Amino acid sequence: MNAMETYQIYLTASAVLFTTGLAGVFMARHFFRRIVATKIMGAGVFLSLVSFAERDALEFADPVPHAMVITGIVVAVSAAAFALALARRIHQLTGEHDFTTDS
Amino acid sequence: MSVWIDILLATLSVALAVRCLTAPTLAQCVFLFFAFGLTLALAWARLGAVDVAIAEAAIGAGFLGVLLIDALRDFAPAKEATVEDAEGYAAGGSAAEGSAAGVPLRAGRAALPLLPLAIAAVVFVLLTAEAVLNVRDGGGLTELAQENLARSGVDHPVTAVLLNYRSYDTWLEVGVVLIALLAIFAVGNGGTFARRDHVTHDPVLEPVSRILAPVLFLIGGFLLFLGKYEPGGAFQAAVLWGAMGILLYLAGWPVMTCLPRVWWQVLLTAGFGVFMLLGLAFMSGGGAWFEYPLAHAGNLILLIETLAALSIAAALTAIFAFFHEMHAPDATETPEK
Repeated sequence: MNAMETYQIYLTASAVLFTTGLAGVFMARHFFRRIVATKIMGAGVFLSLVSFAERDALEFADPVPHAMVITGIVVAVSAAAFALALARRIHQLTGEHDFTTDS
Repeated sequence: MSVWIDILLATLSVALAVRCLTAPTLAQCVFLFFAFGLTLALAWARLGAVDVAIAEAAIGAGFLGVLLIDALRDFAPAKEATVEDAEGYAAGGSAAEGSAAGVPLRAGRAALPLLPLAIAAVVFVLLTAEAVLNVRDGGGLTELAQENLARSGVDHPVTAVLLNYRSYDTWLEVGVVLIALLAIFAVGNGGTFARRDHVTHDPVLEPVSRILAPVLFLIGGFLLFLGKYEPGGAFQAAVLWGAMGILLYLAGWPVMTCLPRVWWQVLLTAGFGVFMLLGLAFMSGGGAWFEYPLAHAGNLILLIETLAALSIAAALTAIFAFFHEMHAPDATETPEK
């Protein structure tokens, strides 16, 4: 089992997470689920970055991807909060929760 | 042995993500998302990224989860059921309120284009195998970061990257949080908060907030200071302070109206503004953008971190309070389509 290193396990998981999120973005209808799906996609990207940081570890893991991911988490949450505000506003004004009905 | 922990965590996070996206109700979706975020935080702790783990657990799962739960009040479960009906979840009209009817018959899923899906899956597996097994060894920037650590003014490499080597990113990030707040205000109906002059005596939240708010404040300050030596720092502290603000707000304290509007504006822009002014000052002194003078680097970083943490905490509290008040009482009577 030692043939597989820790970072490879999480790297594989990150690829699967990204695809899962992508599939969720396309297949979900509800605004809410789409926002959650994009968050899962983002989690996949962050996981791959941190995996590479672990691979390049010397005394400590590579701090540059770590810093990028911390910044990325905050930015992703800000964007998701904005998306959620938009979704709620659309819902309040029109009663819709997806883009299925053309106007 | 430890490999199995990693495999288990990786599998669990993927399984939770799938369950989260296929959950029959939105409430289940939110709570599975919580669990997913916390699993991911564990995975990051396993990968040696403790800072990231704290940030993910606090902001990614915690703060966003709170916003999602608050949004559930708008997207009421009864309405969700009608949509799922259209999507092929064969839920009867009465099944909407029956929690026992949580097992959706996925009749609609059978209509998925199977051949494209299969091809996509095969391509994906091949690409993943290629990427994971044959990825080139870049070496990373660890060595460079380690060499310059002594000149950065802090002892913790991640903080050194965030606030010294790449302070540009961090500065703009504080700006992004500010812009997100403004955008959310613009989307909603204005940026004013209802005045709450007296404390509502919630028998649970009020005493809890009295005990927890000082504790949260202290732990936040501790994390902020600890960032110089250990995992911790401005963002982690900001989220704890933001959590304090949200808790006080929920307990009925007049958080958003206790300060005049101008003071809120100062508080919200302090992190971004002072960061920028310092950068300009260094430039006028002949250095590069955000090139701290060596002797004062540690103190300057602590100052910037404190102001950034205060600004982000204020922004998070304001975002939550605004979300909370976005739920107009008449919103439940929106016309059915």
